[in-house]
Amino acid sequence: MIWNTKEPLGPGEARTRQRNIRQALYIGLAAVIGGVIGGATGFFDQGDGSLFGGNWEDLKLPPMLAIALAVMLLGAFVVLPLSGFRMIDDYKREQNYIAFTGGCVSVLAGFPVWAVLHAGGFVPPPHAFGIFAIAYVSMIASFLYARWRL
Amino acid sequence: MKNRLKVLRAERDWSQAELAGRLDVSRQAVNAIETGKHDPSLPLAFRIARLFDMRIEDIFDDGESA
Repeated sequence: MIWNTKEPLGPGEARTRQRNIRQALYIGLAAVIGGVIGGATGFFDQGDGSLFGGNWEDLKLPPMLAIALAVMLLGAFVVLPLSGFRMIDDYKREQNYIAFTGGCVSVLAGFPVWAVLHAGGFVPPPHAFGIFAIAYVSMIASFLYARWRL
Repeated sequence: MKNRLKVLRAERDWSQAELAGRLDVSRQAVNAIETGKHDPSLPLAFRIARLFDMRIEDIFDDGESA
């Protein structure tokens, strides 16, 4: 644990502690970026739209802020995960592969299933945030499954 | 795959964190290998063998050897 104040007994434990600190910093940075994106979006929101409702026409942000948020989102969803893959070992990489696979498979199956259920009159039509949510929740569920099983 | 990692580590009085640091992997990876939940990659298996100054097949047993 990184909050363990006990002096490391050997060089290996010292290196493990450094690895844990790096990992905590990485998670902290991701949380800060996520908080900034969420906070700025909520604070500067000028429209009546909602991501959850799918009413895109009513979403409105200042253009420069929208560009800045897009850059941060690319960092959060592309750069951070890919750089994270380089930091972790084979064991954790396998867990992350399972998580990403779970998210991807859920979207590949989820969209057509949602579409045919809508066609049958069971559910509202598919919308982008719903698909995103399926991917995200499935990814987290797959990751937890991998951590439990592996 | 069975292995002797836990025994070899105990003989040197190393914690999982100590072994993990010496192998440059996470402590969770060491735990997963020791409990047989995860098979190490070939490069990691070589690192383990070198660390203990043994051959890979003297540490890991896939159950196929005579």
